[in-house]
Amino acid sequence: MSDAVFSAVDVRDRANRPVNGLVVLGQRALRESLRTLDALLPAVFIPLFFLVVNIGQAGRIFPAGDTEFLNGQGYGAFQLPASLLLAGSFGAAALYLVEEIEGGYFDKLRATPVSRMSIVLGRLYAEGVRSVVISTAMVVIGMLFGVRIESGFAGYLVLVAMIALWAVAFSGFMQLIALKSRSAAATQAGSMVFFPLLFLTPNFVPRNLLTRPMEIAATLNPVTYVMEAARSLILDGFDGAALAKGFAVVGAALVLMLALSVRMINNYD
Amino acid sequence: MREPTSVTSAIEPRSTPTGLAVEATQLVKHYRGKGGDIEAVRGVDLAVPAATVFGFLGPNGAGKSTTVRMLTTLMSITSGSAHVAGIDVADDPDAVRRKIGVALQEAGLDPRQSGRELLILQCRLFGMTAREAAGRAEDLLELVELTDAADRLVKGYSGGMKRRLDLATALVHAPEVLFLDEPTTGLDPASRLTIWDEVRRINAQGTTVFLTTQYLEEADQLCDAIAIIDAGTIVREGTPAQLKDELRERRGLAARPSLDDVFLDATGRTRERAAGEVQEVRS
Repeated sequence: MSDAVFSAVDVRDRANRPVNGLVVLGQRALRESLRTLDALLPAVFIPLFFLVVNIGQAGRIFPAGDTEFLNGQGYGAFQLPASLLLAGSFGAAALYLVEEIEGGYFDKLRATPVSRMSIVLGRLYAEGVRSVVISTAMVVIGMLFGVRIESGFAGYLVLVAMIALWAVAFSGFMQLIALKSRSAAATQAGSMVFFPLLFLTPNFVPRNLLTRPMEIAATLNPVTYVMEAARSLILDGFDGAALAKGFAVVGAALVLMLALSVRMINNYD
Repeated sequence: MREPTSVTSAIEPRSTPTGLAVEATQLVKHYRGKGGDIEAVRGVDLAVPAATVFGFLGPNGAGKSTTVRMLTTLMSITSGSAHVAGIDVADDPDAVRRKIGVALQEAGLDPRQSGRELLILQCRLFGMTAREAAGRAEDLLELVELTDAADRLVKGYSGGMKRRLDLATALVHAPEVLFLDEPTTGLDPASRLTIWDEVRRINAQGTTVFLTTQYLEEADQLCDAIAIIDAGTIVREGTPAQLKDELRERRGLAARPSLDDVFLDATGRTRERAAGEVQEVRS
């Protein structure tokens, strides 16, 4: 090999050229997702399993024709948003991140002039794309079993976008645990703290049919509003108030997650 | 053979006003550990001339890696100051990152990418276009003799191949100062010799190499000057020959001692000292 390789290339001071670290690292994370398709299995299988089991258990209690809150659809249409949110909460970003912290590649990235935030956001970008693919697959499966998106194709796009943003926010919080703990075990345990939030929601019946304590818990739980917004798109069409609340929750979660991420990554020692 | 990638830019000369590639003054690092405050580095002074190979030696937990992490912007400095390639590490860490290459312990690589993909990614992170990055990656794969394995996933590489790839990723931007933290630990003798050859070749092009190692033979073979750190402070520094001669004179030895003897003398690690006495400080 010629020693010319050392003298011919010199890019040391080219960092003032805009470097899109987010895109570069996002592409890497997407490539990684494609190479670890087995990691997608829990995100697809478990929500579908819950969907099937819940429909099987409650489908006859809430028949399509006689149940007002179903707006003429089957119980699967009511359950689908809960499964979509569950699928969005199965991101692998935090576990990959902690693996990189433990293996040393995270430090390798930190030793480059790329912006600190893009190291965190690169994987979240891939989580968003992953969520769009999984949500689409689940909606298609739901439609094969008679689910209609009452708000049409535009509503489907809004639904998938909201679930993807939720997935990004949720994965971002998991990444914060990974950055703080630097341990795979702690990161996995951390997800258990957030998981109950998905179930303290009106995921079987609307809020007004819940017992009083459960209704209070669901009303206080921000995830409820994301679920109700998603549900409104499937059952009711475009409900401005429900969508506003749902996107407000997702937006606030994203802002909080980003603010904490900036602080965490900038102070990472 | 294909022509090496030609990327031109306005670059600064490699020599700093002081002629020093690495300069540290009373560098201190405190941690808050489980057992209370840990003083991992206690006032380290370093002056590494440009274009030399500098060896930074010390037993486990002596503060080597912590010092390297501070110099490479990966860890905050509790007190004192450090300049790398003439730039204040605390004031402008991004500028330092553009000037340094870093290969830390255990070859931190993404196992799910191929060697080529990793190199291209690293090039892109240093601001190269996709085309420039592809050309540069090709050159570096050739340099570290990984062209044939370029499209295999890194998780299938041997330890020696991973080290060589790690070294290549540290060279994508032709750094002025290359930090190698125990680059040959765990390698077989043949792989170790290959890394030594690469270090010599890199240094011959004017790159300063800051090398931490636990292998004294490695330091003796490669380094123009060394410093020995123990319990967070520098206990010896000079050229290997100077340090050996100093020990020989001080002890009145008939034969010239080895660098192992210098190390043991400097760190007080003798048969009388219990091995468990040395406390591990996690960086």
